[in-house]
Formats: sequence, structure tokens, C-alpha cells
Amino acid sequence: MEPLQPLQQFLPQVWFFILGLFLFLYVLLDGFDLGVGILSLTASSEERRSILMTSLGNVWDANETWLILMGGSLFGAFPLAYATILNALYLPAVIMVVGLILRAVSFEFRENADSKLVWNIAFGVGSFLAALGQGFALGSVFEGIKVDEAGHFAGGIWDWLTWRSVIVALTLIQGYVLIGSTYLILKTTGELQKTHYKTATIATWTTLVGALFITISTPLISEQARTQLFTAPLIYIFALIPVFGLLLVGLLLRSLSRREESTPLIYTFLVFALSFIGLGFVIFPNIIPPSITIYQAAAAPSSLVFMLTFIGFLIPVVLSYNIYNYVVFRGKIVDET
Amino acid sequence: MPEFFSDTVALSRIQFALTAIFHMLWPVLTTGMAIYLVVIEGLWLKTRNLDYYHHARFWSKLYVLNFGIGVASGLPMAFQFGLNWAPFSESVGDFFGTVLGFEGTMAFMLEASFLGIMLFGWDRVPPIVHWISTILVAFGANLSTFWILSANSWLQTPAGGTFVNGKFVVEDYFKAIANPFMVNSFLHMFFATLETSLFVIGGISAWYIINQRQTDFFSRSLKVVLAIAIAIAPLQIFIGHLSAEQVYHYQPAKLAAMEAQWETVPAGQSADWSLVALPNDKAERNEWEVKIPGALSYLLELKPKLDQPVQGLKEWAPQNRPHMVGLIYYSFRIMVAIGLFLAGLMGTSVIQWLRGKLSANTISQQKWLMSAWVFAAPLGYIAVETGWIVRCVGRQPWIVYGELRTVDSASHLPAGEVLFSLLGLTSMYVVFFIAALYFGSRIIRRGPNLELPAPRTITQREINIQPAQHERDRRPVEAQQ
Repeated sequence: MEPLQPLQQFLPQVWFFILGLFLFLYVLLDGFDLGVGILSLTASSEERRSILMTSLGNVWDANETWLILMGGSLFGAFPLAYATILNALYLPAVIMVVGLILRAVSFEFRENADSKLVWNIAFGVGSFLAALGQGFALGSVFEGIKVDEAGHFAGGIWDWLTWRSVIVALTLIQGYVLIGSTYLILKTTGELQKTHYKTATIATWTTLVGALFITISTPLISEQARTQLFTAPLIYIFALIPVFGLLLVGLLLRSLSRREESTPLIYTFLVFALSFIGLGFVIFPNIIPPSITIYQAAAAPSSLVFMLTFIGFLIPVVLSYNIYNYVVFRGKIVDET
Repeated sequence: MPEFFSDTVALSRIQFALTAIFHMLWPVLTTGMAIYLVVIEGLWLKTRNLDYYHHARFWSKLYVLNFGIGVASGLPMAFQFGLNWAPFSESVGDFFGTVLGFEGTMAFMLEASFLGIMLFGWDRVPPIVHWISTILVAFGANLSTFWILSANSWLQTPAGGTFVNGKFVVEDYFKAIANPFMVNSFLHMFFATLETSLFVIGGISAWYIINQRQTDFFSRSLKVVLAIAIAIAPLQIFIGHLSAEQVYHYQPAKLAAMEAQWETVPAGQSADWSLVALPNDKAERNEWEVKIPGALSYLLELKPKLDQPVQGLKEWAPQNRPHMVGLIYYSFRIMVAIGLFLAGLMGTSVIQWLRGKLSANTISQQKWLMSAWVFAAPLGYIAVETGWIVRCVGRQPWIVYGELRTVDSASHLPAGEVLFSLLGLTSMYVVFFIAALYFGSRIIRRGPNLELPAPRTITQREINIQPAQHERDRRPVEAQQ
């Protein structure tokens, strides 16, 4: 293979970072959406559930849109990865899409229905399915996708289902429940808030167990992760991530037991960010682990430059108006019915 | 039939058609209605007439119902290219994917973010900021139309690069975006969404007028609809005509299918326009048909005799031309008929308006006219769907016209897997379609809430009485209505 020109190296790296950012924002934002959705299954009364739903009303459309941004940009920047990964993950992707449709539509129907039971269940189940599909997808990308030399999918339709991807999926669901609970702590008061201090504490522990398992088992199982992570300079970063992770989990648990209102959400965000950085290091420079790199899967440099010109400068704008949206609707939700 | 169930390409095509047809139903209303909401909210800000405010609130209830389903049904669209059409995605991703990325970042995100303020922010932001949010929602929605139509037009008339070893290499992005079909296709769709939603709003308003419910209130929305639609209904016919002429030049095989024209009409002769026919794909002829002599030459070139030949379907080998000629032929005729009917209804209504027959106390006597509006409410949807059928079934067997075949573009998935997702999506869509009709008609039957006070008035009163409560979130009240 010819040596890569600096530009051919730099552009795919930039796009890897941008896509990582989109995915991270999606996981954070739709993460609490889906988490609140899953928690709504356990809500003890219609009043409580309606507060949960209200907390999402003005933000869920935009949060879900990050996924569409991710999909479109992946298609443009790494067409091969878009094609191969989705081809390989057909069933988990269908489960996710079905779940997302189910929850979105139930959300709107519920507002208009007299008997809300069916739509309540559909909303919770849809949220759960969406998280499950995403967890399986994440798990199997982590495990590696079987491809031929051209980078086309060469595996079977059930490749995504392994005992490790099951654990990744369950952990992601726990993570979403955690972030959903801490979001509700911020947005609610009284009994409802108290409930979610409890669920947040439980979810912290269950997420921690899953995350520890994934962190320990990845280098044990994956040859690539071992060579990647246990050589300098990455070994230092890799060594620091679990340390910081545990520290943050400690702070999170402390803030929960002190009944702080906004810090739990912030710590949860940081835990997610840290896991994401770790994940990025394990996968980079591949985009279809274990063998196809971002350089092989990238679109032509001219495409990447063209996309960067138009999408790149819009990212701060998009972030600003999303933040503005949250600022406008800051404060507690109060049920007045 | 068992052969069909094991055909991955056919199943993938059906799934794409199904998801596209279902998805189309929702944004077609919201993109157009967003513009209507901008106008109605502008009128509220200018006149401070509470009726306009209540209109904005009432129609946005229908808006949000449609928007939610639109977002959800758009997700399979965003992922389907990779799921079911992996070779296609890889081949044209450099351009096609880029445009889809633009659509998400520039357009869709804008719409989805400001939607929150538009729906729930009445009491939280100053009126002008609210109006700007509504404008941004409308702008985002229509910018989406632009990007999607640019991408689809590129599939019809690829430009701006070349295919090298089956992979599209872009040379000029702007040329690819501004491909030959782009301008007319975008305008045709832009007007289609606007016209569809205006006739939905007008039809619902007419239903209230017929039932003598809030006649005064709804004659107002009907007139706003009329005022916007005066120019649009005829203009749409004109742009549609231009689009058909482009098809004649760029995609003659599609035109032949639209006209069920099997034999070539050479230059220098006059071509008949077929009014009704029974095309037979296998026998390569029409079983019977009714023709208007010479009309096609006038439609295409405004001349009694053609300058260029109208090529018949037999000019192409069966594997190089569209099939399901009957579907394409009738879809086209249904679309055109609806376009003409809507323009006629528009014209009649404007005449009645000018004659003073639409004033608040006389409008409910216009029984026939109002019934025609109610009848017209769903027609726009049918025209849009049939138009897309002509556009996309008519370009077969190509996925990228003249360059990449549909057969070569499907992912090599086991047929059972596609069948599984197809059945899952179909059953879900059937349930949601029925439920959406039920809840939509429920919103309409309940009618507007005319008691709703103007925004930012309650909060002020409460500050005076109960200072501690001024930060309360008022959304649940509305969510419960």
C-alpha cells in the first residue's frame, strides 16, 4: 500500500472525531430520553408518568435528530462503513428503528388518548427496544465485524448475538436508566425526585458492574485491543481512564447520597464522556473493527473537505441553538392537573 | 408466490417503497403547514386579534401529531440505504451521503430544535422570538425538501462527476447538487407540500362551516388559505408541465411509460394523447384505449407536428425500460387530474369570495363549495404519492439513471431477514395509520380552545398575586388538553 499523504490522514481523522461527537451527543441526549422512557414503565401513577413525559416533550425530537445527523454524515464521510456496518447489523438496527418509531408515535398518541394504557406500554417498550438494539449494535462493533478484503460484510445474520454483546446491551440500558434518573432528579421535586435518587443509585451500581466487565474482558479477548492499548503512549491514557472512571462514580454516588440536584447529571455526563473516549481509543484507527481503517473507508478527500466546509462551521451553531432550547425550558416540571 | 418471497431485491424494493410512501404522508403536511403557521402567527402579532392566536394553537396540535410520526418514520429512511442497499451506498456515498448529511445538519436539526419553542414556548419567550422560532421551523422543513429533492434529482439526472469502476467520483459538487432536474423538482415538491396542507386546512375549516361550528372563526382560516393558494394552484400545474417536458428530454423511456406509448411517433407527425387505456406489459401493447388526436404534440412542444420523435417503449429492450406501465400510466393521470381539480376549486372559491359569498353570515350557505373543500382535503396526499410513484417506478430499471441498476444495488441479505423487517414495519404502519386518523379526527372533533388566554398574560397576573409561583412550568396544562 502507498504511504498516506498527510491530508488523506488528517481528513478521515477529523471526520472520525466529528462522528464521534455526534454519536456522543446522541447517546447523552437521547440516552436520557430513552432512560426516562424505560423508567416510565415503572411509574406508579398517571400523574407521575405525565410529568415524566412532559420533561421530554420539547426536547425529544431534537435529541433523536442527532442519530439522523450521525447516519447521514457517516454515509457521506465513510460510505463503506455505513454500508458494511448496517448490512452486518441488520437485525439490531431494525429492532432499534422499530423501537424508536414505537416510542415516538406512542408519545404523540398518548397525548390525545383517553385511555392511555396501551400507549404508555408501547412508549416504555419502544424505549427499551431502541436501547436494546443500540446495545447489540455497539456490542458487535466492539467484537468486530467479519469482512472480506474489499470491506464488504462476510458474516452471518446472527453474528451480532454473542454473550458479550448481550452484556454490552444490558450495560447500555443500565447507563440510559442512570442518565434518565439523574435528568429526572434535576427536573422534578418531592416524592418523584426521591424515587429517582433511588433508581439512580441502583443504576450506578449495575452500570458499574457492566462497565468493569467490559473494560476487563476487552483486552483479554481482543488481540487488537491488547496491542493497541498496552503499548506506550496509549497505555498511560488507558490506565488513567479506569482510575478517573472510578473516581467519578464515587463522586456520583456521593452527590446522590447528599441529595444534590444538578451534580448527579453532570457526573453521569462525565462518566459517559470517559467511556466514550476509552471506546474511541479501542476502535481507532479502525471504523469497522477489527480490520477496516478510517482511511480505507473514507470518501474521497474532496468530499470530506466539501462536507467539512458546510457541516463543520455549522456544528457550533447547531450546538448553540440546542443549548438555547434547554435554557428556555430550564427549571422544574410541576404537574398542575 | 414462493419465488417472490425469496427474492431479496424485490422485497427490498417493496420495503423501500412502503417506508417512503408511509413517511411521505407526514412531512408533506408539516412542511407546508409550517408556512401557514408563520403567516397566521404574523397576523396575530400584527393585528393582536386573538382568533389568529387560537388558530396558531389549534393547527399546531395537528402539526405536532404529524411531526412526531414524521420523525419516527424518517429513521428507517436514514438507515435503509445502508441496511438494504449497501452496494448502492458504497458506490454513490461520496455525493449522495454528503447531501443526506447536509439535510440532517442544516435543515432537520433546525426544524426539530425550534419545534420545542414553537409548541411549548409561548409563555417562555417574547412573542417575536416565538415567531422567529416558527419561521426557523418552516425554513428548516423546506430546506429539508430542497436537499432531499436535490439528492433524488441527482439519481434521475446524475451530474457533476463520472462513474469509475462502479464508484461515483465527484468532480464538481455544485454541478451535482444543481443537476438538471433539481430546480423544477424542488419547486414542484415545495408547492405540492404547500398545496396539500392548504387544502387540508381549508377542508377541515369547511367541515366546521358545514357543521355550523365556529363559522366565523373558521371562515377566517379558509380565507387565509385562499389568499395563499391563489397563486400556488395554477403555478403548480405550470411547474408540473415543465417537469414533464424535462422527462421528455432526459428520460424518454419514463415518458413513454407515463403515456403507455409502445410505438415511436416519428418527428414531423402529430402525436395523440391517451386518455384511458389498458396497457399490457407482456404483449407490449394497449388492449384498448381512448385517445385525443394530436393532443400530445401540443402538450410537449406546443405544435401540431412534433420536432422530435416521441419514443415508444419498444425502442428499449425489456430489461432496459420500466415495467408496471399501467401503474405509471394511471398514477400520472390521477396526479394530473387532482392538480386540475384543486386549481378549479381554487378558482371557483376565489370567484365566490369576490362576489361576497364567503362572508361570515353567508358562507354556510355555500353547501356545495364547502363539501367540495372537504372532499379535496385528502386529494393532495394522493397526488403527491402518485407523483412519486411515476418518478421512481418510472426510472426503473435504474437506481442511478443510466449508470447503476437497481438489481445490482441491493444488499446480499437472506430474503427471510428482509421479509421479517418488511412484515414488522408493515404491521406497525397499518396500526399507526389507523390510530393517526383516529387521533387526528379526534383533535378536529374537539375543536379549538377559544378560551385560551393570550400568551404571557397568566404569568404576569400570578406574579402580582403569588410571587413565589412565577417560575411554574405551564406545559402540563396544555399537554392535558
